[in-house]
Amino acid sequence: MLQCIFIISNSGEVILEKQLQGHRADRSLCNWFWEYAMTQGGELSQLLPVIASPTHYLFQIFREGIIFLACTQVEMPPLMGTEFLCRVADIISDYLGGLNEDLIKDNFVIVYELLDEMVDNGYPLITEPNILREMISPPNIVSKMLSVVTGRSSNVSTTLPVATQSCAPWRKTDIKNSGNEVYVNLVEEIDAIVRSDGNLVKCEIYGEIQVDSNLSGYPDLTLSFANPTILNDVRFHPCIRFRPWELYQLLSFVPPNGQFKLMSYRVKKLKSIPIYVKPQLISSSGSCRMTVLVGTRNDPGKPIDSITIEFHLPSCVTSADFTSNHGTVNILADKRCSWSIGRIPKDKAPSLTGNLVLESGLSSLHVCPVLQAKFKIMGVALSGLQIDRLDVKNMPTQPYKGFRALTRAGEYEVRS
Amino acid sequence: MAPPPQFQRSSSPSPSQPSGKSEISDLKLQLRQLAGSRAPGADDAKRELFKKVISHMTVGVDVSSLFSEMVMCSATSDIVLKKMCYLYVGNYAKGNPDLALLTINFLQRDCRDEDPMIRGLALRSLCSLRVTNLVEYLVGPLGSGLKDPNAYVRTVAAMGVLKLYHISASACVDADFPSMLKRLMLNDPDSQVVANCLSSLQEIWSAEANTSEEAAREREALLSKPLVYHLLNRIKEFNEWAQCLILDLISNYIPSDNDEIFDIMNLLEDRLQHANGAVVLGTIKVFLHLTLSMADVHQQVYERIKAPLLTLMSSGSPEQSYAVLSHLHLLVMRAPVLFSSDYKHFYCQYSEPSYVKKLKLEMLTAIANESNTFEIVTELCEYAANVDVSIAREAIRAVGKIALQQFDVNAIVDRLLQFLEMEKDYVTAETLVLVKDLLRKYPQWSHDCIAVVGNISSKNVQEPKAKSALIWMLGEYSQDMPEAPYILENLVDNWDDEHSSEVRLHLLTAVMKCFFKRPPETQNALGAALAAGLADFRQDVHDRALFYYRLLQYDESTAERVVNPPKQAVSVFADTQSSELKDRIFDEFNSLSVIYQKPSYMFTGKEHRGLTDISEELGNLSVEAHPAAEALPAQIYEANDVDLLLSTSEKEEVRGPVNNSSAYRAPDYDSTTAALVSSQVPLEADLSIPGLPAYNPQVSSAIDDLLGLGLSVAPTPAPPPLALNPKAALDPGSFQRKWSQLAISSSQEFCIEPRAVVALATPQTLLRHMQGHHIQCIASGGQPPSFKFFFYAQRAGQPPSFFLVECLVNSSSARAQVKIKADDGAAAGDFSALFQAALSKFGE
Repeated sequence: MLQCIFIISNSGEVILEKQLQGHRADRSLCNWFWEYAMTQGGELSQLLPVIASPTHYLFQIFREGIIFLACTQVEMPPLMGTEFLCRVADIISDYLGGLNEDLIKDNFVIVYELLDEMVDNGYPLITEPNILREMISPPNIVSKMLSVVTGRSSNVSTTLPVATQSCAPWRKTDIKNSGNEVYVNLVEEIDAIVRSDGNLVKCEIYGEIQVDSNLSGYPDLTLSFANPTILNDVRFHPCIRFRPWELYQLLSFVPPNGQFKLMSYRVKKLKSIPIYVKPQLISSSGSCRMTVLVGTRNDPGKPIDSITIEFHLPSCVTSADFTSNHGTVNILADKRCSWSIGRIPKDKAPSLTGNLVLESGLSSLHVCPVLQAKFKIMGVALSGLQIDRLDVKNMPTQPYKGFRALTRAGEYEVRS
Repeated sequence: MAPPPQFQRSSSPSPSQPSGKSEISDLKLQLRQLAGSRAPGADDAKRELFKKVISHMTVGVDVSSLFSEMVMCSATSDIVLKKMCYLYVGNYAKGNPDLALLTINFLQRDCRDEDPMIRGLALRSLCSLRVTNLVEYLVGPLGSGLKDPNAYVRTVAAMGVLKLYHISASACVDADFPSMLKRLMLNDPDSQVVANCLSSLQEIWSAEANTSEEAAREREALLSKPLVYHLLNRIKEFNEWAQCLILDLISNYIPSDNDEIFDIMNLLEDRLQHANGAVVLGTIKVFLHLTLSMADVHQQVYERIKAPLLTLMSSGSPEQSYAVLSHLHLLVMRAPVLFSSDYKHFYCQYSEPSYVKKLKLEMLTAIANESNTFEIVTELCEYAANVDVSIAREAIRAVGKIALQQFDVNAIVDRLLQFLEMEKDYVTAETLVLVKDLLRKYPQWSHDCIAVVGNISSKNVQEPKAKSALIWMLGEYSQDMPEAPYILENLVDNWDDEHSSEVRLHLLTAVMKCFFKRPPETQNALGAALAAGLADFRQDVHDRALFYYRLLQYDESTAERVVNPPKQAVSVFADTQSSELKDRIFDEFNSLSVIYQKPSYMFTGKEHRGLTDISEELGNLSVEAHPAAEALPAQIYEANDVDLLLSTSEKEEVRGPVNNSSAYRAPDYDSTTAALVSSQVPLEADLSIPGLPAYNPQVSSAIDDLLGLGLSVAPTPAPPPLALNPKAALDPGSFQRKWSQLAISSSQEFCIEPRAVVALATPQTLLRHMQGHHIQCIASGGQPPSFKFFFYAQRAGQPPSFFLVECLVNSSSARAQVKIKADDGAAAGDFSALFQAALSKFGE
């Protein structure tokens, strides 16, 4: 299993090292890794997630400028390594409220403590955030305040979470919450590829149901959908009972305390997209005129917010200037253009026009940029998935139930 | 001493970097003052100090000199302080075994603490000290830990047993821990305890299985029906990682009948919906393996796992989707038809990393069929205009491959020809290579292609492969291209500007072909080309020019028959990866093999487990500095023993079993090595020379293995002589199975004779040579200078025990690395000697 975990900054410095087995992995491994990364072009996000070094097999993930590197010398399921590193990154980021070199350095004791509980002898152990939070409390202001008030200066709870022994490992039995409420959020990401002629190549929605539960005791929840048949494939949090889903498409579960991802799903073959982006490129003798039009295509019924269009100028473009009738355009150093539109105004369709100057010797543009659109629609789940009702059992008083929905653009790209 | 490697990285000083020694001594002083203090706030001050110490440690500064002060300060009830202290102790105890004794006391006390969390933490730290002479202090706390009323402590203890095993296997077995673990595994109510027991037992019994038959039986018992069902029925209680472990175990389980297969699949079906990708893949592996023998169900399994895999791929981070994608890739390559309607999932997104795009392109190529080719090719053409040059190239290649697969290539050829009009050098280059291949398969397309190819200026084509392709077409179709002779002549004129011998060779052939079709126009060019070729300093080019020249001198019509024979269209191009290899990777589903697209025997070489302490020390030392010492055992062995050994073993073959022959006993390799190595370990530690990279894993592993050999086999009594069965037979499947089941019983590295190196120029001779010694080769491969051979041999007589050998030969360093696995581990030493003797005779 895993032998060692290194946390490395994006300048190649080893921030933290956690040996997991008796057989230690030497730090020079990181040097090898760094040199390898440099020979691969130095683009850290483009590195292979699994690399064979001369001595070890390395798993690496890159998150916000931090590399999480784990090594092993034996055959093991690859996703176990990668998935575990992702959990480590998520949980550290969750604890520290973000990820960067200084944050980790300031809180390395917490990181060590976390890793200590998350993995033993190379075998992943506890990765459930709720349980970890009960064992090691996050370094937030509340706990700092609390330690000042109570005089207890430890961030470790003195008692073990009972959950490590209960048969529902995600929930301890005697939770007491002051609030009595449960929120269900539908968060959907729409992935689409649109060809230059406006034809939809592919459109798919990846959705998650996020639940924030602040219920006391041992509540038993049942969530039902009005139209569960549209779901193409689903993945569940361990708390969901499989039988009711199989028979009646009901989500029946005892929720963990706090926020968690109840389920994720995929809906494919969508036909309608909320906005259109129409790029047009006309080349003539060494320069190219680019226009982009943006507008609402199928009105989702709620306003479309924070629309941004981004694209990379091809390397053969030497300079470019853009003007738009709405929003602001920025050209960044790496030839990345970003046009932030915000909301589409009622009276006009936003448009961007610009002139691209090509490299000398090129008469027309052969490489067309791919435009990536970002937007957000509050209050709507574009897949059409609807929650029918949420029943709460095992509770003395009925809790407050809240529902929200949000759709945002995932990989929404338009070719030109 | 060599500078510790960690310093190399910390060139940019971080704020927590100490200014020098003074700061450490400062810390030392402060720690001392606080050690006995019971003043309020002392814990806070201590905590700050501990943090400083640990941050130094983290940066890589050696703070081991503070060891005793840290231990003195460890008497505290503050759990964070305790944790930091455990961390520190765990890091430096190995280097200071004497001081580590100081910590035992407080760790043992903590193991009896009221708070289960502290008990667990202390026990974990105690097991992580990794100091061999402290093992005696470990057994007691571990034993009580396994019986602890709190599950957390039992969890830690179960894993602790494994750690103890790696420190001292005998101590672990003597204390009867394995059977305690087994009891816990079957009876404990807590799932995590069960899971940890399982993983510990798996490792311990696999390691013990070579030496003890009982352990081998126990290892088998882990796959017994009652246990498998015991775990299966409770699988939902386990956490996700433990589920992965269990699924991995079950994938090796062989059900007795089909009903059982369906039972297991029903029990596990909901695991396909699990949020953790590792669980999903583990389940898929079980499904695929269970149904291998049932073709129709296997097909249904594919249908069932498609959706979860596709979801897994589109959710999660790029790293996760890569791992999933690699597995999908494997499945798609096995059964492309099943995925042909899902082709849109493999369309590349702009922002994906190129390693993901590459895999997707390969899959798109594989699943293209009559119904989806048009759309796939349209999509691929979009990528040809991609900003990412390497992906654009891959996309064009993919279009070409699809064209070669399909019967109806009409539209595709048009597309390819459009690429040529894009006037981008890399697009043109890739396309030319493809058009060439296409013409070899579909000569009927030559007219359309030639018209476009003829317009390409050879000046715009720089890449040797593309240029060769263009030249080949000019030669092959010179009768249809009016300009061909003149383009060729122009190229011949610029012979010296062309540096690739590949292009020059093609140019020679093309000019010859053109000459036979259009003699008057090409005569000049041919003369110039032959002259330039004859003067070429590259042997290949020179030889070909000479050959053509003489051929023409001999007889023109013969020359034409040789150079320009009527060609048959190529129907199938050689596949890059053999189907056997693909099958083997498939057997290793949900393993790293899939990611590397190579079966594990091609990349997992070294077994590093066990004997951690010594090998680890060696791993940090520079062994390269004194190859003499390293080569010593092998040389002594070779010099003194080879002849002796050979003559005796040959004699004995004739004479029959003669035990305790002193002549045979003398060259007992094992005891010699053991003695040598044990005396060398301290020596090497002193010898380490500064300035050399303190990391030489290959050599250290060799020593690691040598030690393993010495310790495990040294005290065996003189074995009976070893005769090999001249007609041993073993099919590749059983070889592979045995190889994965058996552990290495002997492994060594030695020098090979220079004459052997010379003879290795043709590796086949080695195979024949070894066959002469009744050692058969089952697989071989490699490029100079490194070769890899797999041999096997069978002992003559009863019981028929097989020896499997992996032999790595490096002809440039004249070294051979041999790993031997044997059914009968006791005979491995003899066989190893026999093998080396045979090898040393190679090339005579």
